[in-house]
Amino acid sequence: MRLSCGIDQLMASPSLVIRRTHMYLALFLFPWMLMYALSTAAMNHRAMFASAAPGGAPQFERERQLVYDGVLPEGAELRVVSQQILASLDLDGAHNVTRRKDGAIVINRNDLLTPRRVIYSPVDRTLVVEKLPHRTNMLLERFHRRRGYATGYALDTVWAVTVDAVIVGMVFWVLSGLWMWWEMKVTRPLGALAIASGVGLFALFLSTI
Amino acid sequence: MTFSHLNRRVHLYLGLALLPWFFMYGISSVPFAHTPFFERRDAAKGLPMWTLRSEHSVEAPIPEDPAALRGFGRTLLQQASVEASTFGVYRQTPTQVNVYVYSFWNSTQLKYFADQKRLTVEDRRFRWDQFLTGMHGRGGFEQEGLLDRSWSVIVDLVCLAIALWIASGLYMWWGLPATRRWGWLAIGAGALSFVLFTLRL
Repeated sequence: MRLSCGIDQLMASPSLVIRRTHMYLALFLFPWMLMYALSTAAMNHRAMFASAAPGGAPQFERERQLVYDGVLPEGAELRVVSQQILASLDLDGAHNVTRRKDGAIVINRNDLLTPRRVIYSPVDRTLVVEKLPHRTNMLLERFHRRRGYATGYALDTVWAVTVDAVIVGMVFWVLSGLWMWWEMKVTRPLGALAIASGVGLFALFLSTI
Repeated sequence: MTFSHLNRRVHLYLGLALLPWFFMYGISSVPFAHTPFFERRDAAKGLPMWTLRSEHSVEAPIPEDPAALRGFGRTLLQQASVEASTFGVYRQTPTQVNVYVYSFWNSTQLKYFADQKRLTVEDRRFRWDQFLTGMHGRGGFEQEGLLDRSWSVIVDLVCLAIALWIASGLYMWWGLPATRRWGWLAIGAGALSFVLFTLRL
């Protein structure tokens, strides 16, 4: 009964629908927005983080080394080989793979929390697993840059959908925000001044830098 | 004025003032999220990305110290008579240094080949998707110009504003008891999915 009352109320007022969508969308997507805000700030001050970190950019550290006892299919594509190796290490997920001149296969596993590099040497069948040490600003950057539908992994595709949802959300918040502002007559003069200042400043940047 | 009233007004006016940036970040995320689509579309045109503007004979030793690279880049810009307030200098190989000069509308690259004593200047063809991604990626405090630094200050302000919109938005939601049940559901679903992505991606 209460639910149907609420829906009736929403149907009766497009303004209420816009307000509620603005709010619920924000409540759902706030972790993404917080992550994008923090990661943007980290990237904007990259030089500060770099100077604070001893030894420059983080280097891969050896995690473990083992002999690979699996059988790799003859003449298989690199992608098939890398997936088999990663699965055997329980590390399957989004990755890039290349073959070095010496024949070694280098797999960069784009793990969000702990990026790893796996090097397989066919000559002695050794697998070296390396990981990047944790740095909060780098983690935020990885989060910020994670996107795209081409990894071939379902979870990455779903993530890419959520990134698109954030984009739609941002555009919707701008448009619905304008709508809500216009409905509040008392805020129109100051609001118009805020918009004009913002647009003017933006135009200045656009024409000068 | 009550705190609730102040909270609403700050949420609103901050949003209106930063509206161009917020809108820009939203729209410019599209070419980032769908890069292959935009690349395919542009490749179909079959147009070259860079056009040679000029070529110069230059002899200058490339400095070993990375800290001196920016000054070296400025010298190359002067040699080629290229005006630039915003640029980056990158050592491509031991004998090649590239200088990228960019504004929102134009991009130019200088390539200095020390072994050939040759400096080339090339202009990039304008593309709307690159215009947007260039704007999206602009930031940092490495450039000397006042306007460049002011832009980066506003980038910080947008970050701060997003945090403030989240906090003030949560406060406003809590002030509407009728929406709490659905609100909790939205927060829970969003936070849970986000944690899941963090652990599994």
